[in-house]
Amino acid sequence: MLKILIPSMFMLLTTWTSPFKQLWSTILMYSFLVATLSLTWLAMPTDTGWFYINNYMAYDPLSSPLLVLTCWLLPLMIIASQNHLAVEPENRQRTYISLLISLQIFLILAFSATEMIMFYVMFEATLIPTLIIITRWGNQMERLNAGTYFLFYTLAGSLPLLVALLIYHSSMGSLSYLSLTSLPLTCSNLYANKLWWMACLLAFLVKMPLYGVHLWLPKAHVEAPIAGSMVLAAVLLKLGGYGMMRIMIILDPLTKELSYPFIILALWGVIMTGSICLRQTDLKSLIAYSSVSHMGLVAAGILIQTPWGFTGALILMIAHGLTSSALFCLANTNYERTHSRTIILARGLQMVLPLMATWWFLASLANLALPPLPNLMGEIMIITSLFNWSFYTLILTGLGTLITASYSLYMFLLTQRGPIPHHLILLEPSHTREHLLLALHLLPLLLLIAKPELVWGWTA
Amino acid sequence: MNPYILTILLFAMGLGTTITFASSHWLLAWMGLEINTLAILPLMCQSHHPRAVEATIKYFLTQATAAAMLLFASITNAWITGQWNLEFMSYSLPTTLVTVALALKIGLAPLHAWMPEVLQGLDLTTGLILSTWQKLAPFCLLLQINPSNTSLLLILGLASTLVGGWGGLNQNQLRKILAYSSIAHLGWMILVLQFFPSLTLLTLLMYFVMTFSLFISFKVNNSTTINSLSMSWSKAPIISSMVPFILLSLGGLPPLSGFMPKWLILQELTKQSLAPLATLAALSALLSLYFYLRISYAMTLTMTPNILLNALPWRLPSNQHTLPLAITTSLTICLLPLTPAIITLLTL
Repeated sequence: MLKILIPSMFMLLTTWTSPFKQLWSTILMYSFLVATLSLTWLAMPTDTGWFYINNYMAYDPLSSPLLVLTCWLLPLMIIASQNHLAVEPENRQRTYISLLISLQIFLILAFSATEMIMFYVMFEATLIPTLIIITRWGNQMERLNAGTYFLFYTLAGSLPLLVALLIYHSSMGSLSYLSLTSLPLTCSNLYANKLWWMACLLAFLVKMPLYGVHLWLPKAHVEAPIAGSMVLAAVLLKLGGYGMMRIMIILDPLTKELSYPFIILALWGVIMTGSICLRQTDLKSLIAYSSVSHMGLVAAGILIQTPWGFTGALILMIAHGLTSSALFCLANTNYERTHSRTIILARGLQMVLPLMATWWFLASLANLALPPLPNLMGEIMIITSLFNWSFYTLILTGLGTLITASYSLYMFLLTQRGPIPHHLILLEPSHTREHLLLALHLLPLLLLIAKPELVWGWTA
Repeated sequence: MNPYILTILLFAMGLGTTITFASSHWLLAWMGLEINTLAILPLMCQSHHPRAVEATIKYFLTQATAAAMLLFASITNAWITGQWNLEFMSYSLPTTLVTVALALKIGLAPLHAWMPEVLQGLDLTTGLILSTWQKLAPFCLLLQINPSNTSLLLILGLASTLVGGWGGLNQNQLRKILAYSSIAHLGWMILVLQFFPSLTLLTLLMYFVMTFSLFISFKVNNSTTINSLSMSWSKAPIISSMVPFILLSLGGLPPLSGFMPKWLILQELTKQSLAPLATLAALSALLSLYFYLRISYAMTLTMTPNILLNALPWRLPSNQHTLPLAITTSLTICLLPLTPAIITLLTL
């Protein structure tokens, strides 16, 4: 564990001491090295055990896919940011890279935390670099509002979580994951216990986001620069899912009654945000709302608390992380050429950029959960476990799948097919860097078809 | 100011606080507070500007009232119990009166109205002394008398955090923002006073470090409004890049050190079964965070358009001593992992 964490910390030093001409290549190589080393976390001899490195950091089949995703994403973010940062002065480029690296350090610490307060501190710590990336390097005036919404929605949810964790700590004595399974809070039917349950989950529901509290996400995703959008979509939303999975253990048996409205809200959110996607004119906003839609399904899968639900949620989180990040990279290729996020401004691109159309095709297919991609596996497992709980959820989830397919196809057809408008004939051709970026996103996704056991979580 | 006069005034200020620290007799404590107040008055109005003189007068009136109330309470205590010792105040009337008097002295809500106006009339250095040094003596007294009036302290504390948050939202003058931030932090300190007094001391010291960094950062930029901060990236780029961290630390965001007092206070409050109060206090910190965030937006996270037609400020070589700023900024950002050691130090 420390083999990955300490090199990541020293990457900060490398950022500031590299000669400027070799900065990006050095950091890219270094982060690829760390990412490759992190793949060793996926090899787990047992299915459910914890792998300790020290008292404070450990990983298990639930957190290792997310850790690998985090480490994998840093080189991808570096590749994606190279173009738009090239015009900036030297120190600002180094600062930007330092922010990305510090984000990775906090995320590694968050996913490998063995104690809930450590997880909480790192969960909150990821807000600061993200806030700075969004508000300092975003491109439009609305980014300040986006940063404020992002920070305050997350904090308003997580401060009650802190109080709830401290309450649990004062009555149970320990918040270590290793002992959580044997220390459920004894349930009495006091109203205060229900408030405590709510306080435990609210932070993660806001982060995921659940449909009613999702307002920060379209703003933050749209206004962030490409690396910010990538890390938000791919990993930061999964922090919410991961936290929810960890804390569900202590929330029994209240969850049996109390989760009802949230499952329904999550499923309704799948449909609502999917429908909003069909009416979007802004490409990044479409992808952001599609993120809300997929994460609504993840939230429902976690709240159901069955093995298939958890497995489906974890697979969908990993697959959605890669897919959504790939879609944001594709949207960024459009943005760098036309400096606009309007979909209809960059339509019919297959005529001009045919190879990029391949990536658009693959990413859209992944988004609409085509078999045999892991996206489908996750969705099918969640839908099945929901169906097992209640037949009527099939209406909502089936409709949600249909709408997801419609807007993914809509996005693909509108950006790629059709006649190319006259102002786009002289577009800059695709860079090899962009092809590399998308290949690195979609290749793991395709490889996961062969061995989904790597990201299955606890299910044997 | 004449350096001899300045020396005498600073010495007297230190003397006053030290007398209060060392006293166990109420009259001596009161005397220390009065010496302290009187010594800072010339410092406050040294610029002879009408606004500064107004601030001095307001400060004098409120502090004199508080000191008189303190004297009255100690005389009442002497009348009832027959002794003048600080620690043995067991009757509720003198204790409550002392608590209210000290609340007026440090500026807790609802006795906070003088604080923004007084701070606004002072320059940044004197404002710093007012926000930090002047709070030491009253806190020393508060920590010693063991106030047992639970609801009074909780009301003072919660009202202060809420007023500190809401009051600062509409301000664009930095000194008023710093005053409301001071009120909010004092509220947090009072909340935990009766449960775990060492945490009050910890919060006070952490607040000193954080607010020292902020005041000196503003002084380096020579700016007193949010608008004038926007050119600081060209005058002092590294300080500009550190100030958002100082501000977020004041707002109590992990992993910066400002999270430490809030975390420990919330832990103590939940242990005392005051969880709803803890939640309310934590959420009121979000109000203050909003205006801290606004300052950091203006200073670092946005770039003012470079209007070359206007006169830009001269970038003169500065011989300001920034070593204290460097030390306190480092402490403001990096102290959280040392929490266990600090707790052990304070509970020895």
